[in-house]
Amino acid sequence: MSSSTAVISDEQTPVHSGPILEVSGLGVEFNVDNEWVMAAENVSYEIRPGEILAIVGESGSGKSMSSLALLGLLPRNGRCSGSAKMQGNELIGAPQSTLRKIRGNDIAMIFQEPMTALNPVLTVGEQIREAIEQHTELSPADAKKRAIELLLMVEIPEAERRYDSYPHQFSGGQRQRAMIAIALANDPMLLIADEPTTALDVTVQAEVLDLLRTLNKRLNSAILLITHDMGVVADLADHVVVMEKGRIVEAAPTAQLFASPTQDYTKQLLGAVPHLGSKVGGVLSDVEVVDGRLQIHEEYAEEARRAQADHTASGVEPALQLVDVDIEYPGRFRQPAFKAVSGVSITINPGEVMGLVGESGSGKSTIARAVTGLIRTSGGSISINGTDITTLSARKLKPLRKRFAIVFQDPAASLNPRLSIGDSIGEPLLLHEKLGREELDKRVAGLLEDVQLPVAFRNRYPHELSGGQRQRVGIARALSLRPDLLVADEPTSALDVSVQAAVLELLQELQRERGFACLFVSHDLAVVELLASHIAVLNKGRLVEQGSTEQILKYPRDPYTRRLLAAAPVPDPQEQSKRREQRSIILAAGATE
Amino acid sequence: MFYFIAKRTVISFFIMLAATTLMYFLTISSGDPFEDLGETSGPEKAATIAARTAAMNLDVAPIPRYFLWLQDVGHCLVPGGISCTLGQDRTGAAVLPQLENAMGSTLRLVVVATVLALVLGVVVGIVTAIRQYSTFDYSITFVSFLLFSLPLFWLSTLLKQYLAIDLNTWLDNPQFSYLTIALIGVVAGVIWAVVVGGDRRRRLVVFAVAAVATALGLYLLLVTGWFVTPGFGVIGMLVSAAGIAVLWTALLAGFRRRRVLNAALAAAGVSFAGYLVSIQLLNDPNWLVLVALVVVLAIICYVVAGLIGGPFRAQAARIGVVIAVSMSLLIVVDRLLQAYPTLSAKAGGRPIPTTGSQSANLEGTFWEINLDYALHLILPTIALTLISFATYTRYTRASQLDVMNQDYIRTARAKGLSERTVLVKHAFRNAMIPITTLMAFDFAGVLGGAVITEQVFGWNGMGKLFVDGINAVDPGPVMAFFLVVGTAAVLFNMLADIAYAFLDPRITLS
Amino acid sequence: MSKNDKQRDDSRPSVELSELTLLSQDSDIAGSPRTRDQTARVQTEAKSQGKLIRERFFRHKGALAGITLLVLVFVLAFSSIGFAGIPGWWDKEYDVLADRFNEGRPTLTLWPFSLGEHPFGQDVLGRDYFALTMRGTQTSLIIAFIVGLVAMVIGTTVGAIAGYFRGWTEAFLMRITDVVITIPTLVIAAAVAGIVAKAGIVPFALFLGVVTWTGLARLVRGEFLSLREKEFVESAKSVGASSTRIIFRHILPNTVGVIIVSTTLAISGAILLETALSYLGLGVSAPDTSLGKAINDNRSALTVRPWLFLWPGAFIIGIALAVNFIGDGLRDAFDPKQTRVKQ
Repeated sequence: MSSSTAVISDEQTPVHSGPILEVSGLGVEFNVDNEWVMAAENVSYEIRPGEILAIVGESGSGKSMSSLALLGLLPRNGRCSGSAKMQGNELIGAPQSTLRKIRGNDIAMIFQEPMTALNPVLTVGEQIREAIEQHTELSPADAKKRAIELLLMVEIPEAERRYDSYPHQFSGGQRQRAMIAIALANDPMLLIADEPTTALDVTVQAEVLDLLRTLNKRLNSAILLITHDMGVVADLADHVVVMEKGRIVEAAPTAQLFASPTQDYTKQLLGAVPHLGSKVGGVLSDVEVVDGRLQIHEEYAEEARRAQADHTASGVEPALQLVDVDIEYPGRFRQPAFKAVSGVSITINPGEVMGLVGESGSGKSTIARAVTGLIRTSGGSISINGTDITTLSARKLKPLRKRFAIVFQDPAASLNPRLSIGDSIGEPLLLHEKLGREELDKRVAGLLEDVQLPVAFRNRYPHELSGGQRQRVGIARALSLRPDLLVADEPTSALDVSVQAAVLELLQELQRERGFACLFVSHDLAVVELLASHIAVLNKGRLVEQGSTEQILKYPRDPYTRRLLAAAPVPDPQEQSKRREQRSIILAAGATE
Repeated sequence: MFYFIAKRTVISFFIMLAATTLMYFLTISSGDPFEDLGETSGPEKAATIAARTAAMNLDVAPIPRYFLWLQDVGHCLVPGGISCTLGQDRTGAAVLPQLENAMGSTLRLVVVATVLALVLGVVVGIVTAIRQYSTFDYSITFVSFLLFSLPLFWLSTLLKQYLAIDLNTWLDNPQFSYLTIALIGVVAGVIWAVVVGGDRRRRLVVFAVAAVATALGLYLLLVTGWFVTPGFGVIGMLVSAAGIAVLWTALLAGFRRRRVLNAALAAAGVSFAGYLVSIQLLNDPNWLVLVALVVVLAIICYVVAGLIGGPFRAQAARIGVVIAVSMSLLIVVDRLLQAYPTLSAKAGGRPIPTTGSQSANLEGTFWEINLDYALHLILPTIALTLISFATYTRYTRASQLDVMNQDYIRTARAKGLSERTVLVKHAFRNAMIPITTLMAFDFAGVLGGAVITEQVFGWNGMGKLFVDGINAVDPGPVMAFFLVVGTAAVLFNMLADIAYAFLDPRITLS
Repeated sequence: MSKNDKQRDDSRPSVELSELTLLSQDSDIAGSPRTRDQTARVQTEAKSQGKLIRERFFRHKGALAGITLLVLVFVLAFSSIGFAGIPGWWDKEYDVLADRFNEGRPTLTLWPFSLGEHPFGQDVLGRDYFALTMRGTQTSLIIAFIVGLVAMVIGTTVGAIAGYFRGWTEAFLMRITDVVITIPTLVIAAAVAGIVAKAGIVPFALFLGVVTWTGLARLVRGEFLSLREKEFVESAKSVGASSTRIIFRHILPNTVGVIIVSTTLAISGAILLETALSYLGLGVSAPDTSLGKAINDNRSALTVRPWLFLWPGAFIIGIALAVNFIGDGLRDAFDPKQTRVKQ
């Protein structure tokens, strides 16, 4: 703010044909412990009408904060400098009263987490209506009419009725649609979408991206897309700006950036993104649409079925075998029990990695917890190396626990903040092998080396480690007892792509070295493809399909698997646009099926 | 909802039952019921002992004695037929009539103190949160910690000794020297400057305006003899009506829509007309007439404001009702103030009483009697309110700060909503959700505090019933007190849950 | 844009310089203000959690003042008249009657500082009021800390068991808590005080503790309920840790903050509760004395001998205020989300 000298003049500026937004030398700082910490500096870019500009970066790259700064929405301990001109009008340093007329009117925002970004105590309709009333002279009744139109435009079914619903009565995707409706209420010239699909499932993400694309074409408003997901960039953006540690690293048209990145960081970033289909060579390659009906080559399907039968009855004792597993969450008084998983059968042979894929609510994490004895099943059996653990008492189960281990999703939450790293890693050893201090120290040091962390880390506490380091600690802890089966519950989904790549590599290496079987739970098909030899797909608690990775990715038989595969964006603009067409064909065909 | 209330009632019943058991046995084992007779002797003592034994069923073992008491309570639950006494105290008198006498004054005190503390605490809490880390915030933080640390009776005694006596003396001859007036102006100026804040220039302006306005206003009040014959007068009411209309519009709607402001002003005009009409009607009314008039005024204002509001009729009509109720309150206050000179004369020129909950044998109009209640309430209410006020401000501040950091507040700002809308519409309701839970806890605390304040100010309320009962090891009055307090606590808890569900649509009562 | 507006806006960053809130730091949005550099900086100066908490606590000016005041009061009360047979530096006894000197007025002067014969004056019976106040302070402190301790132990145990084991255990324990909570603290304490006040200070304090644990139990239960769902607890379960180990090694250490903070509040509450009970004639009884009893004994003296009323009051407020500020400092120290630096 300090360096800004421009003052907005009150005269109406003529409508520009040039850029809608010109950002130059934008800097953002935060006051932390009485020190100004840079969050972004010297950020410059411009957006033209109808254009979609993506700002890509990992966490801490300053991409969100530099965009919040445009509208004067920084947290209270932040300040900004530089210049951002909207059609020639300076935004940085403009008084709140001026910015208020621009917010939601000329520039609108969509936020990442639609659950927390909508006010829980006001109806969705009310929240759209007030955005309209704020910037127009419409009467409440007319504003309501307009709000319902908007809800229809973002494809909310039964818009009239849903107008009076509260955010918690909407699904995640619907909430984000409502958020978009709010943003579009006054036909903004520029839409800032801050990670608009990060909190959503892939299939929902694909729909929301489609919606944004259509609206962009129809309304000709520009979109500033802030994301960490290269797939989303490839799907939507015209131009890309790559940011790292608060600075712009590279800016280029999307096709050019993906085809020939010039900067090392960009190359590294693109290299770290798992690319769906990279291992098996093409996704859905054998699904064809003939006369509006989906066809797959029957011989492949037959082969796949045979392979699966062989796999199940291969003679070796499976490392993990689930037979018709049902899991219920007990209902409270007057509420029926909720069946999270029903009739799931999976077999993992020793040394094999099985990917368990599904969207939120599919029951995949529930299965991971049941396999490790954390929750009880209500039917079926779970056998680990031939022993059924569902019938064992807690005491009988305890010696078996060294045979399997679990790595959790959120490395920040899965380590006890009050235990040192050494104590956390050593806990399983202490409990099962009753080692002496010295022996324990030696083993912990060995494990830290195995996960490529300095031994000195043993005296640190989780909050002193970065996310990737914490997840390495989680892996070391899980592997401390040399288990035969490792259950990994979304181990990398809370990490940045480059960190994710390193952690995945580590996991692969350890798995090759030690040969444990692994149940790898994930929502990300590309990650699963990298690691797993077999894939099982879950939908709403039911197993819809399982088979080898190649078979599932190339010629899935279940319509849900196809939808899932078609929805996942790949970090390659050309391929992604082909996949988009394929997806719409599959969806259309699926509808008739 | 119905199911929820039914379920909670059943659970509460059993909790109350268990709590009464606990209280009953604690009470009867807290001492010797004949301790006060220790020194006396002779046939009188024997007779007293016999009478007490009979009245308190001391010849019955403790457990059956408890059931006898339960039976007495049970009589009150059965409608009609059997007499309801809530047992007897040690002199053999029925407890219920004593409780009925005591309950009115105590509940008046507790409700007034709770409502005042809630309103003041929430308002101040929100302002401190908005102006976090300002001088005002720090001052209020310190003041609330100080209030947290004050022994209630110590504070009450000081209030009684200094505030009441000095105020009475001053009211007898309400004069200030010019210096005092100036000083009061300066103090008021400083307070306003700290509350409003801003940069130096703005603070100076606020200081100057507030200081001059306060001093001038005070001077005018003194010159016109307002403190001898208080009241707003017709001009005062007219100005207040306009002020109320503008204030509520600013708070609830903003001035962007002209029609809403016009509707509010019309509602204020109607209310003012209502005031003129009611001057004769309200010479000596009763509560029923008063409430009926308020309802009539509210309905008229609703319709008028709604009609003028045009497209914004829903909002305008709501504001109309709020203005009608505010004006009604103002009219009542005005009438009470008008009753002051005659009441003051009846009280011998010492209008602020320091003992009791009402003047004995006071004959007078509706207004005189209620002003008498109000004046008696002043001191104990100040004491009780100050203590709970501290709790409410701290919690409201924390809650408001929490809400202001939520994503949906950022969304609201990103929509371009005015700061007023963000605060009033988006933040306030969410910030109030945790306060409902606090209210239930605090109410029980205030009831406990009332025991102390009643004692200090010599009220003949439930607190005295309880303290005398405990000291005499007489379970009858103690348990009667507890029945009311416990029921109130349980009831408030339930109300808090309902309020919670009302404020937060994610919660369903089941 | 008017000049005035501009000025105001320009002044904002400097105002916010002094505000130093870390509130936004924990926001989970990608690209939150915690940049890489900053994370790196934090990592280089690796601090143990205990040290972080201590640092945050000592940055809290109010807490610092509170702890200084409390220590001073402690030292003064116990060193002046001695304790448990050990003599102190003050030569007068609190229960020795003497002639009243200058109508018992306080002889304390601050400038030049001098205690004089009777710094806090003498009461109606001629007892040295300084010694009496010190004695009362000792009693009040002992009572407050025992109450805090007992409430902490019972509250933590009940809350931990209810929160960890859920089911019928929880239902049973929480219904008991509900029953006790239904009775206002002062009321139940008054009833209890009638039974034990005459038995001496320690039993009196123990019993007060027995009736004031409910708030703490609820808080601890809430903490346990949320912590037991945390992944690190699941992680411990998955390697076969026993319930005891999970409660004591994994959950309890993470609830220390809540427990300590509510214990300080229980302590300041206990001081005021003791005062209130003494006022009702249900507290400490002669020959023992406490601050509450001292005020109550002299409440009619407010007009003629205000110092008899004001000195013990000042000590009560001082102690309670100090404890409350310490509690506030601890709350900030244990809850990094609320951390801020006051300038």
